[in-house]
Amino acid sequence: MWAVLLGSCGAAAAADPTVPAGGTIAYALTNLHWAIYQTENGKVECPEGFNEGNREQFKKLYPESGPKRTVLRTQLQWEIESWYPTLTDDGFKFQEARGPTALGLNLDGKVGPNDFTSPSGEPGVDNQLYRALGCIKNYRGPDGAIQFFDDEMVGKDQYNRILIELTGVESLVNSPKVQVTMYRGRDRLLFDATGKKVVPGGSQRIDSRWGARYIQHFRGSIVDGVLTSEPVDIVYPWAPFYLATDEYMRAARLRLKLTPTTAEGLIAGYTDVETWYLQMMKSWSTHHQNYGQTSAPSLYRAMRRLADAYPDPKTGANTGISSALRAEFTQVLIVPSSRPANSVLASRRTSAPYRGPPDPRPPQQPTAALPERGPAAAGSN
Amino acid sequence: MSPRHRFEGAAVRLAAAAIGLTAIVAMGAPAPPVTESYVHVPMPPHFRVEATELDGAVFADARGHTLYTWPFRVMRVGNTGDPKGQSHCTATKTTQSAGYMSPYPGGLELPELETRPSCVQKWPPVLAAAAAKPVGKWTVITREDRSRQWAYDGLPVYTSALDRQPGDVLGGENYENEGDMPAVRHPIGPRPDVPPGFLVSNTVVGRLLQTERGFSVYASDADPPGQSKCDAACANIWVPMVAPQSVRPHGDWTIIERAPGVRQWVFRGKALYRYALDSGARSLEGSDVPGWHNVYTQLAPAPPPEFTVQETSAGQVLADSHGMTIYAYDCGDDALDQLACDHPSDTQVYRLAMCGGGDWARCLRTFPYVMAPGGAKSHSRSWSVMDIDPKTGRTAAAAQPGTLHVWAFRDRPVYIYAGDQQPGDVNADGHGEFRGEREGYNAFWLRDDFFGRGG
Repeated sequence: MWAVLLGSCGAAAAADPTVPAGGTIAYALTNLHWAIYQTENGKVECPEGFNEGNREQFKKLYPESGPKRTVLRTQLQWEIESWYPTLTDDGFKFQEARGPTALGLNLDGKVGPNDFTSPSGEPGVDNQLYRALGCIKNYRGPDGAIQFFDDEMVGKDQYNRILIELTGVESLVNSPKVQVTMYRGRDRLLFDATGKKVVPGGSQRIDSRWGARYIQHFRGSIVDGVLTSEPVDIVYPWAPFYLATDEYMRAARLRLKLTPTTAEGLIAGYTDVETWYLQMMKSWSTHHQNYGQTSAPSLYRAMRRLADAYPDPKTGANTGISSALRAEFTQVLIVPSSRPANSVLASRRTSAPYRGPPDPRPPQQPTAALPERGPAAAGSN
Repeated sequence: MSPRHRFEGAAVRLAAAAIGLTAIVAMGAPAPPVTESYVHVPMPPHFRVEATELDGAVFADARGHTLYTWPFRVMRVGNTGDPKGQSHCTATKTTQSAGYMSPYPGGLELPELETRPSCVQKWPPVLAAAAAKPVGKWTVITREDRSRQWAYDGLPVYTSALDRQPGDVLGGENYENEGDMPAVRHPIGPRPDVPPGFLVSNTVVGRLLQTERGFSVYASDADPPGQSKCDAACANIWVPMVAPQSVRPHGDWTIIERAPGVRQWVFRGKALYRYALDSGARSLEGSDVPGWHNVYTQLAPAPPPEFTVQETSAGQVLADSHGMTIYAYDCGDDALDQLACDHPSDTQVYRLAMCGGGDWARCLRTFPYVMAPGGAKSHSRSWSVMDIDPKTGRTAAAAQPGTLHVWAFRDRPVYIYAGDQQPGDVNADGHGEFRGEREGYNAFWLRDDFFGRGG
């Protein structure tokens, strides 16, 4: 049935490939990871090296030669600090990514002292999440485990099947007003014979039941083949490791280079810190974090310190951190019969950012960087 | 024992050979005492088969206590469990962690050593008399202390100290070990009496009838008893479960002839199909089509009547009366003997760490127990009202001041998470070590269309 549908729609696409049939084209997300600007061995952005992970910190905190080690005072204490992180100084130096360059977009329209310049020279790039993640091996390509699995599971797992549909498209080169609709798809991607590359033209049913909460509309425009969307708060499904988790990004916008078969570029906005941390903790156990030297408590403190937008009205602490995702999409055809009924759209449950565990979170992030503390203060390796 | 894996069927209820999830929660009535049919096998003298609410038929000792094995298992680092012909469950109390679960090292002192039981205290070996003789798959092995122990299919057999009466299966679960779960004990039992080409799988809703490849089997409301109204067009989507010429009707199983030479299995009067559009094994998507249902050999007992079913981003979860997701706490320690730590009679150190950083009061705020209304009673043994001392997490006398009367599933309390803000949130699903598989809170999934839990 899908093959018949695919064939008929493909034929309708016709002559000028930059003019999609009916002014509509859809893409499925195939790859997604946090945008990390890298130089060789991090010599520019991580001149003092990469961050230590939980295994390294555990050894310093609980040395074999130290007091008697118990499960409660070591293993469980580490898990407690990971699941209920605080802003208390742990004495470990956190290596933030530095340098003038980062991937991302100018989210606030300003050029400030903490902003980066994009590799193409665009000033005012807001990406404080890059400062937090850029010197953690897990998030660096091509070997970082989290970057690898983030990408891999977006393609493999249907929970993460994000679709964007553009309507009102005059051409994929220039189109002043387009509507962008985000859905979750229900079907596997269509891979080539290598099993690695997604090929265009696959069909996707819209998930209007479990995925109704992800149906979101926003506006954009296409200029010189690049889609730019207006900022809007979005929730999107992203489960890298078999537990249902979402991400929440405020003032999110797409900047995607379009072709008739692909869309690739950046999704940027202010990522909700608590939702991000929950997704990380549920997806990556202490063991998995250890693959690429992540220390969850250290990373949480860094994110809270670097969060730069959306202050909590009660505490004043910023809840959002500027961020950018590297995204790749491949063209798909949406199965018309799967389009949600108006009643589904009207009754769908919306998602809110995660607020964290119920006990009060630390009200205000420190304004200054944490003091350095060497291995001697934390115990020997 | 994870509810995402646990909560298997009870009560054969095959007027409702198939039934939807919502209907199950709405039932509330005691399940009829009918059990899944099984294949009779030779057993040692005095052993017997017991019907259970959740695990189908199990082998039991002379008292009716369920029998378990502890299969050998490769862990992240090293391995544990019993290899065939040997018991690694001894009377020596384990005092240190084994370091099976990286990145934590072995050699850490285990909690509450003064009260920690030995493996055989939790899992008494089922000893064989001096004159015991092998029968069928049952053999006798010699333990380190020279005592003789029954083994099934080569694996030493135990009972659980938690089981109190015939039909209890409180010590272990009947689910394949996966991922980073502890090396758990499994109840053992005779094979369900299903024809070749079928299998029965434990789900949270009941004992689900599946094809041999794990795909769901369905029945249609449109089919009268012993007939199929599914025509050729229908059969493109609803593929009849074909019965080979060599098989014969027996027990609950009959056969109809759809067309000359084309025979179809019928279970308790309902013609059986699989759904061509199911996205994979264990998918329940066919049951979304009006008039079509999954088929269970037993349905699980109904949860407390005030409980609800809520839709999440991945499927359906059991929820409390306010719609907040129900969680269970699962735990196995990282020790050679892999003792469970999720029952109120076990150490509460792990749970208190995970629910409140070791602070019992914080635990009550973060993961509140699901309170049972005054006078609440369960119609099943799977769901019960338990009296808990909130400061220790252990069972308490009902009359003790401050005792909480809470709902429990399989003798373990259930919880909600205060960090969930609205019905359908599952923020604490996987809250714990190894994403809740080794030790932590897991949502009570009734159906999961994406990750194969529940359903």
